[in-house]
Amino acid sequence: MTLPVPLQRWFWRLGWTTGPAQRREAVATFPALVVCEDCDLVHARQTLLPGDVARCSRCGALLGRGHRLGPQGLLALSVAALLVFLMGNLTDIVTVGLGGKHVEATLPEAIAQTWHSGQQAVALLAGATALGFPLAVILLRLWVLVPLALGRRSAAFLPAMRALHGVTRWSMVEVFLLGTLVAIVRSAGLASVVPGVGIFSYAALTVLLAANHAAGLHGLWQHAEDCRA
Amino acid sequence: MKPPTEVLTGAAPGVGTAWSLGLWNCACCGLVSQARPLDGATPRCPRCLFALHARKPDSLQRTWAYLAAAVLLYLPANLLPVMTTASVLGQFEHTILGGIVELWHAGSWELAVVVFIASIAVPLLKMAALALLACTAQRGSTWRQLERARLYRLLETVGHWSMLDVFVVVSLVGMVQFGAFASVQPASGLLAFGAVVIATMLASSSFDARLLWPASASAAQAAPSWRLRQRNRRRATLPRTPVHE
Repeated sequence: MTLPVPLQRWFWRLGWTTGPAQRREAVATFPALVVCEDCDLVHARQTLLPGDVARCSRCGALLGRGHRLGPQGLLALSVAALLVFLMGNLTDIVTVGLGGKHVEATLPEAIAQTWHSGQQAVALLAGATALGFPLAVILLRLWVLVPLALGRRSAAFLPAMRALHGVTRWSMVEVFLLGTLVAIVRSAGLASVVPGVGIFSYAALTVLLAANHAAGLHGLWQHAEDCRA
Repeated sequence: MKPPTEVLTGAAPGVGTAWSLGLWNCACCGLVSQARPLDGATPRCPRCLFALHARKPDSLQRTWAYLAAAVLLYLPANLLPVMTTASVLGQFEHTILGGIVELWHAGSWELAVVVFIASIAVPLLKMAALALLACTAQRGSTWRQLERARLYRLLETVGHWSMLDVFVVVSLVGMVQFGAFASVQPASGLLAFGAVVIATMLASSSFDARLLWPASASAAQAAPSWRLRQRNRRRATLPRTPVHE
């Protein structure tokens, strides 16, 4: 029996599909090979020392990096990112003063204000890229990394990893940070603006997410394989 | 599109592409595998069950479609105001270019340059570069392959920085709320601008960089170069000189 294609797609995304091995298909895997994602050239896999960068010999695309951090180190980064994310959203980003009146602005408030002034789609866009997707990245990483640091594979490991694969490119914390700095400069002529704890938290979050992002996901797959074996 | 189906064991590294060796590269987890799916089912990665594609499905069609959407939305994004400011002096509407001019006159020309690069230069160059990549990939061109591959990677890295202006306005809306004295409201151009950024990001992510490296012989046969086609067309339309016996 074959399901309709849209249904099948949802099943794949949720990780419910049976794999090729279960369907008794002829499958061979080549863990000793790496294929360049940009130009399809086949390379032999090499163990990289920390700090090493492997590039494709034809198009120069990144093939992999050698990492200093194992699952424990990555877990520490993700926990720190979660704390800083909460700080950045609960404390005010700037305090604006005009004629003796002070307004403290946080990011959720700014997005809510945008929503109420009639631009709901923009509010959704900004909320998703500055709040929703970064939070999703952090939570999914924690979901995968906590069991992995303890030497196990998490429940729903495959859907979580695939969601992580799709979500990472839509998190734009660093752009939000620069945007807020530009906004501070633009309103400085009008009112007195004092940066708050929130903006420094977001600066720290930018660094932590960049470190997380640089570690990539392929290393996690490797660790998960080691765990199962 | 399916790669050749013969099963190849012991592939020598560095000698060919995954396509030519009949290997699948998983876009999600990076495992290299070789699967022969039963009766036309989609092949799946044995490790992460992600659907395997030798090339991204409908890559060029999707790229062109998103690109067309981005070009269309670029006009309202720059012509409509992105925010309105209200103060005791009156109500003003600001476009993206106007905001840059204001920053320049306010004396912070460094920021004006940053905003100009992020909101004007990057979207324009990105759309032009994507059109170039899609055009050359469509013809199976082998012109400056390394440079075009670098250009694609650059597009993927800088693409999301154009969201800068959306965040500037959202931050200003949250910061400047003093009732009748001063307030900032987002305006309709902002949505168009955000949509341009999203459309160009989708266009570059649906473009398959592997199309920049066609297997030389077959691609050259399938798509002759632009110069060659022009020459053929010219020859076909030239009046035939009468042949004297």
